[in-house]
This record gives sequence, C-alpha cells and structure tokens, in this order.
Amino acid sequence: MDHLTRRQFGRLSLAAAIAGAGQVAGVFPALAQSANPIRIGFAMALSGGLAGNGRATLLAYQIWAQEVNARGGILGRPVQLVFYDDQTQPGLVPGIYTKLLDVDKVDIVTSPYATAMIAPAMPVVMQRNVTFLTIFGAGVNEAFKYDRHFNVNVVGDNMKETYATGYFEVAAMLPAPPRSIAIAAVDNEFAQKAAESARYHAKKRGIRIVYDRSYPPSTVDFTPIIRAMQSGRPDLVFIASYPPDSSGLVRAANELRFTPAIFGGGLVGPQLASFQSQFGPLLNNLVTWDVYSPEPTMDFPGVATFLQKYRELAPREQTDLLGNYIPPYAYAQMQTLEQTLTRIGKIDQAAMAADMHAQEFDTIVGKFRFSALGEWAEPRNLFVQFQGITDNELERYKRPGAKVILAPASLKSGSLRTPYGAAG
Amino acid sequence: MSAAGERGVEAAVGLGAPRAAPKLLAPSPHHALFWLGAVLLGAALVVGLRLIGNEYGYFAGYFILQYIVLSSAWNILGGYAGYVNFGAAGFMAAGAYTAIALRKAFGLDLLPGIVAAGFVTGLLGLGTGYLTLRLRGVFFSIATLCLAVVLQTLIVNWDYVGGSRGAYIVRPREVPPFVSYGEYMFVVMLMLAILAVGISRTVELSRLGRGLQAIRDNERAAEAVGVPTLRLKLIATTLCGVLMGVAGAPLPYYSGYLNPEAAFSLAYAVNAIAMPLIGGAGSWLGPVIGAVLLGGLQQAATVTISSALNLWIVGWMLVIFVALFPRGIIGWFRRRA
Repeated sequence: MDHLTRRQFGRLSLAAAIAGAGQVAGVFPALAQSANPIRIGFAMALSGGLAGNGRATLLAYQIWAQEVNARGGILGRPVQLVFYDDQTQPGLVPGIYTKLLDVDKVDIVTSPYATAMIAPAMPVVMQRNVTFLTIFGAGVNEAFKYDRHFNVNVVGDNMKETYATGYFEVAAMLPAPPRSIAIAAVDNEFAQKAAESARYHAKKRGIRIVYDRSYPPSTVDFTPIIRAMQSGRPDLVFIASYPPDSSGLVRAANELRFTPAIFGGGLVGPQLASFQSQFGPLLNNLVTWDVYSPEPTMDFPGVATFLQKYRELAPREQTDLLGNYIPPYAYAQMQTLEQTLTRIGKIDQAAMAADMHAQEFDTIVGKFRFSALGEWAEPRNLFVQFQGITDNELERYKRPGAKVILAPASLKSGSLRTPYGAAG
Repeated sequence: MSAAGERGVEAAVGLGAPRAAPKLLAPSPHHALFWLGAVLLGAALVVGLRLIGNEYGYFAGYFILQYIVLSSAWNILGGYAGYVNFGAAGFMAAGAYTAIALRKAFGLDLLPGIVAAGFVTGLLGLGTGYLTLRLRGVFFSIATLCLAVVLQTLIVNWDYVGGSRGAYIVRPREVPPFVSYGEYMFVVMLMLAILAVGISRTVELSRLGRGLQAIRDNERAAEAVGVPTLRLKLIATTLCGVLMGVAGAPLPYYSGYLNPEAAFSLAYAVNAIAMPLIGGAGSWLGPVIGAVLLGGLQQAATVTISSALNLWIVGWMLVIFVALFPRGIIGWFRRRA
C-alpha cells in the first residue's frame, strides 16, 4: 500500500510537472520569439468571482499584443505579456507584483481587474516608482495620491458629482418632471459611490427620496426591496448593483409588475452577454449605466474591427461573447501604453508618467486625457436604454438600436421610452 | 474507548496528581533548545533572504508564515481538543480590523495594532469558549462559522473602518533598519510564527495539552476523572483567538487596502483547517509542515501554472491526503516508525 502510494505520487508529480510546463509554454508564447521583448506584467482574475471580466480583459490584451507584434512591435521590440492568475484574491496580489518586478523583471506593469485587486498592488509599485496604468478602478488613487497612477475608466475623478449626471439628464426627458426617487445599492465600494451620486443629484434637483437602502451582497430574495419601493410610488428608481443582485432585482421587478417611469441606474450585469441572453425582453426600457454601445455615435475608428476579432475568439476562450463592456477599454489601455512609448521613444517610468499627464490619447474608445489624480479628466458615463428586445438572441447587440444611448447628449442616439415594463 | 483515548485520559489524570507524574508520560520537552533553534532558523531565513536580495522572497515568505500562525492557532483548539473551528477567517479579520480601527483612531502603527488585535480576538475566543458549554462537534463548528458571518455583517455596516467600501492604509515606504517594508513585514510575521509554534508546542507538551487531548478523545470521561474541561477549553479558545487575531493584524499593512470580502475570504478558513490536516493535526509540527507544503504549493502554483488549474491541483492534493493519509504527514511517518 505504502509503495503503491509513493509510486502514485511519483506519477502524479510527473503529470503535474508536464501539465505545468505545458501551461507555462502557453502563458509565455513569445518567449522564444525574440531576444529582447518589451515585457508587460500584470495579475488578472482568471479564476474566482471576477474571472468573467478578467478573462475578457486578458483576451483584449492578447489581441493587442498579437497586432502590435505583427506590425513589428513597439520601438522595434516585440511585446510579451507576462501574467499570473490572482484568483480574485487580493492577498495574492502584492506577491505577484513583487515577483513581476523583482524576479521576472518586467519592463512595465499594468493592473489587475478591478478596484479590490488594484489597491493591493499600489504599495508595491509605489515603492519602486513604477508607472501604473490600471483598468476599471474606482477612486483607488484618492487614498494613495500617486502621481504615476493612471486609470482607464469612464467615471473620472469626482464620482459623487458626475456619475449619475446622465441618469438625471434622462429623467429630465420625461413628459412630466419627476418628483420622487427610490435608491437601492449593494454594499460595495462602486455601488455605494454610485448611490451617493444619485442622492447628491436628487437633492440638487429637489427630487424627493422615498426609499434609500443598502443590502448585503449575500441577498438572494429581492422581492421585499421591490415591494418597499413600490409602496413609495417613485417616478424614478436608481439601483446600484453587481451581476448576481442585478439579476435578482430585474426579475423581482418584472414578477411584481413594477412600472416606474424610469427603472435602472448603476446596474452592473446588463452590459454582459450572459445577462442579455438570459433576460431578453425583460430588459426592455431599462435605463442603465454603461461604457460602450455599438451605436453610430460611438463608432470610433478601430472599435468595430477589434470587436469582430474579439467575438471570433471569445467562444474558444470562454469569455463574454459580445465584448461590449470591458474589452474595448482594455484594448484602449494598451493603446495608451503604446502611444506613450512611441512618443517618448524609450522605456522610462518618469518620462512615461510625464507623457501620460501631458498628452491626449486617441484610442478605439475615443479620445481622452488624464487628470492630476490619473483618472479620465472628462468623465463619460453613458446611460443607455434597452429597446425593441423581442427574444434572447445576442446578434441584435452587435448592431445599433438594441442599447440606445440617451446620455450624455454628445453621444445620444435615440429617445427615451417609458415606463419600464411596457413592451419595447 | 480507544487506546489513544485511554492514554489521553491517563495523562489527564496527571492534572490532579503530583507534579512528577507527567514527566513519566512524556519525553523531556527541551523548551530552551526549541526556542534557540527556532530563533536561529528565523535569523538564518532573514539573513538568507537578505543575501538573495530579492523582495519577492519576503512576500512569498510572509504568505506562508501567516498560514503557519493561523494553522498553529487552529491546531490548539481543533487538533488538540477536537473542537473544529470554521471561523478562522472571522478571527483573522477581527484582528485586521482592530489594527485598522486603531490606525484610524489614534494613528497607531503595526506593532501596537498586533497587540490590540490579540487582546480583542482573545476576548472573542473566550466568548467562543463559553459556546462549548452547550455546543459540541458539528454544532460548535456551525456556531463558529456563524460567528464569522456575524462579524462580517458588523464590519460591512461599520463605516468608520471603511464598511463595505474597504479601508486604505498608506504604509511608509521604509522602516529603518530594514531594507524595505517587505522585509519588515516578513520579520514581524516570522516572529509571530515562532511565537505561535512555540506556544502550540508548549501547550502540547504541557498538562494543558494532555487535558485537551483527553477532551478530544472523550470529554465526559475526561470530566469524570477530574480534568477541568471548561477551564482548559476556555484557555484553548482564548489562545486560538489571540493567535488568529495577530495573524490578521498585519494584513491591511501587507496589502495597503482591505475590504470585508478579502478579510473574510473563505481561503483563510479552508487553509487554516486543511494545513493542519495535511501536516498532521494534534502535533505542533503538523501545521508547520502543512502550511509550508500547501502554502508553498499555492504560492508556487500562482506564479507558475497560474490558471484555474492551480485550484484543481490544490483541491486534488487535499482529496489525496484526506483519503491516503488521514492522520497527516506526521501520522504517516509515526505509523511507519
């Protein structure tokens, strides 16, 4: 028995070693390609709670790397991605970034996805004065005030005053001015900041708050929340939620036939293909925060080509099938890096930071500049409305018309339909 | 009663017997030699890592050392006394948030934070000890799991320490005379690990440990032969609480940001149980072996295989150990000997 066990262990170790070696080769495909690549290191959630968006982000990076290498690289050097799975565990992030910087000696580091994973990497990169280009963080640099931190996200610096602006611009489109609002938010950083912004704007515009509650992420039954909102008869409903609870809230609202003039807010979930295919027509007239919609007003150069490429690869990579949420921004993050390096002509952390502070970037998600804190200087929170959804097909989300942009005015592509719950 | 149980109760009888009796039952503990060896090993680690001069060694070392503290703490209650604590993450987070609260309120640094965390979680452990008056076996385990849920709910709703948004701790870049903050964190956790293993060993080799073993084997029989079961359990739960709390206190300094999801991560609760089980629960060395093996494997898998496959490997390792070595590595070696 004992001998058998040891043998089994030997075989298992061998199998693990072979499997591991295979994986490593897969992870570092560019290792043998060139003598002196520009190595870009990052941790990414490839397993755990944030893996859905993490894998989509990685795919966007890989598409970018492949394209850049096909063009001959940056500064005459190919790029190589060096990445590790952070398993959506913030505790692993400091170790990974130390390894990237001290052992792997990567030239550049970019961030994991998202706030909770970016923050633990900050002390490590700050200690080494490295320029840190992050993706979809929410106010991470408010605490650290690191002058080499840059975040690719539409929310900008002052989330309280800017996040819900678009939502209230949409509310102003109603035939009769709204008089009351109900607010519900899940207990997490992003949602609480979003709800704070809704409160700020409601008070500023004299809209009465008839319901304002937070709920824990573990909530599974949303009927009481919707019923409580219903009893207040609000004109507007602003929900700030994450995918599991977004799903529960939309379902509960439909089951209870809740029909406020505007239902939506800062729901994270309806941007994803899995959510759209699951809910289909239930999404009609939902007004929610978003970052991208394939409307003519957002047809920035290169975005359609990128999405086509992404959608070809997505099924094989088992990521979000449409890529309308984070992937264009992840690609834009790498374009930002490329433009900076091309401009300064060398890999120099101080020069990179100076360039990012000073210059405008032209990417597949449009043009933007960074503020002093490294957020987008001009926030661009979209508020979109699902319209004309008749089934659970995803094809419609590749074309204009399914997710109409209502705010900001500069990107508006349709008009508001109301109330929620009416056939699209 | 099993043979082991009889031995345990026999040993426990020594609690009421003359002081010479336990010496007949256990080998000389060589406490001074252990402490000297542990300190020398610790010093060798620090010097070795400094010579290597790689910051990553400190972070990987910290990761493993925190699990040595956590699993040694779990072992005092779970391994010696047989009370399985599923709330390790709760205790650890309570320690972490004590450090955060003190930092916010008084600007206190890491070391006072660790002391305060130990005090707070010690009290929490004492309270858990009183639970054992009514709850045993699986019911005690469920209660500890619930304790973690209650604590998480409290923290999520306590805005002062960041609530659901999490709290940032902007740590200094350097702490003289250490070469970096990473080395400082490593040395602090190394000292905590030496302390935790030392306490765990002292408990095991003392009358307290034998009493706890008697409780594990048959609590009623132990009580009947004069083992002060409640008192011993209270000491064990308090010690367990203190050590888990001090393991958690440096966490916000390590990561710079802590939110309830990260602090109450299931990984801590699972590893705190899995590591002693793999190494050999009921022995002070078991959790150390388990933490080095499993923690090292997790860290290595994170930076080599780095995909969902590493979870798969760790999962299989647990299954294999539970199926083939139910008494852990220590138990396997003892059986062969």
